[in-house]
Amino acid sequence: MNRFLAVALTVVALLVPARAWAQSAASLLEQGVRAYTVREYDGGAWLLRRALAVEGAEALSNAGTARALLYLTATEVARNQRDSALASARRLILLDPRYQPDESFPQPVLAVYQEARRTAPSVSIRASGDTAIRPGAETFVVRLGSSTSPDVTANVTNAEGRVVRTLFSGTLRDSVDLRWNGLDGSGKVPSPGRYMIQVTPRSQRGSAASANWTLRLPLEVMQPSIDTTPLPPAPPDSLFRPERGSSNAAVRALVPGLVAGAAIVVLPKIVASGENASSARLIVGGAVTIAGVAAFFSHHPGQRIPANEEYNRNLRESWQRNSQEIARRNADRMRQTRMIIRPGAPTLVTSAETP
Amino acid sequence: MRSLVAAVLGLCLLPLAAQAQDDHRLRFTAMGLAGQQLVQSTAADVTDKLSGHVIGFEGTMIGNPFMVRVRYGEGRINPKPESAAEARDVVSGEAMFGVRALPWLSLWVGPSARAYTVGESDQRWLVWWGRATARGTLMPGRMQTFVELGGVFGGNVGSPAVKAGGRMASGGLEMRFGAMSSFWGRLGYGIESLHADGLRETVETLTLSVIYGLPQ
Repeated sequence: MNRFLAVALTVVALLVPARAWAQSAASLLEQGVRAYTVREYDGGAWLLRRALAVEGAEALSNAGTARALLYLTATEVARNQRDSALASARRLILLDPRYQPDESFPQPVLAVYQEARRTAPSVSIRASGDTAIRPGAETFVVRLGSSTSPDVTANVTNAEGRVVRTLFSGTLRDSVDLRWNGLDGSGKVPSPGRYMIQVTPRSQRGSAASANWTLRLPLEVMQPSIDTTPLPPAPPDSLFRPERGSSNAAVRALVPGLVAGAAIVVLPKIVASGENASSARLIVGGAVTIAGVAAFFSHHPGQRIPANEEYNRNLRESWQRNSQEIARRNADRMRQTRMIIRPGAPTLVTSAETP
Repeated sequence: MRSLVAAVLGLCLLPLAAQAQDDHRLRFTAMGLAGQQLVQSTAADVTDKLSGHVIGFEGTMIGNPFMVRVRYGEGRINPKPESAAEARDVVSGEAMFGVRALPWLSLWVGPSARAYTVGESDQRWLVWWGRATARGTLMPGRMQTFVELGGVFGGNVGSPAVKAGGRMASGGLEMRFGAMSSFWGRLGYGIESLHADGLRETVETLTLSVIYGLPQ
């Protein structure tokens, strides 16, 4: 009996963490809040971080995220983890600069929040969850907010930090919707991968006091594989006809005619010397020689050959038409394909934190 | 009767050639020919000149690189007005085995026979040839020329047999009847000089031929 009980407890012990991992973000948030309430700070911090880490459809709403960050700030204050508490408070301010914490929280928690507000730049960035757009036809929207009207530049950058597209450059009054249509600066669809919306203050002449900070919103861009048709290769040179008559080819046609014609005329003298060969050899030898001369001129040595020029032109145009048609069909397929953009948690790097 | 046999054989070769065009390993050509023949026949220092018409056929099986060619012709030649010779019936044939040594050069070896019938008597020349044929293209797929040279390396004439020798040369022009036609025309000239003890036969032939299939 004792052995059965031990096995059952072991199974339950193994299943409980697995169940916790499988829970929704909202459920984790509620458990985290409850843990804070009953002063289970370590478990509460773990649950709240788990809730904030959930992505996709099960992720927290913006209001839920703000609540989770506030409770995480309070939990970290209670655990005497001041830096972690400040980091959580800053994330909350990034999410919503106008967020007002409940006055029922202990004074140290409110103090940490106020300190984070004082030191954080007054900008925020907020994105909805996973968004599927048709590149070029629809847009992915991010709301950028501020209460101090800074001059900022917002770029989409790739994993190497190269600017893919500039979304905004100017004075940020209250808030602005940054709209990215999924294309890079040259109008092409960027390859799937990790990107970032990076907001930085614009340097202003005589404004040495302007803050030095960078607000980053990581983006994961995914795109289903698109079955496009490869463009046909350009026709090889061997398919083109010479546009001018080749002198070499003309000579190659002339020489056999002259040699054979002369041979037919002369050879009877060698084969049957002493006999009187008939004039038939002259007829055939002459015909062969004339044919060789005619073949020489039929190659139009050095002259333009309009028929070949037209043939080559048609060959090129046919290839170009074919390529354009395939490119158009590929573009149609690309336009119909949706790009999925998954935003991550925004981060703020200030001058003090910049390496 | 022999003309009838030749015509029937020629007609039989045409469908064979047509059927073989689809076979990439072997090609066949069939040719019907008609020509004027001039013969200078010397015996005991007396030379007779004769001329007449001949008809015949030729079939060639072309492989890579080997080839086989058979030719048959017959006709009647009559003495020139100044000659005292009698008219003759002429029958000739040859079977050559060849190899393409170069794209433009073929080498041949094989026997040929020529028989004259004068009244009730016959004169038969049987010789073994070695030949070389050179071809040149004037217009690709449209017009080509050829020259053939040959020498006898063994042969005999008459009964009892007398050792014979000789040389030959021929050449001509081949033209396709149309851009995509299977038929070609040939204007050819050939001269063949055979000799034996006290005998000499020089035969010049001017031929017009129709060829079915791509000439080698």
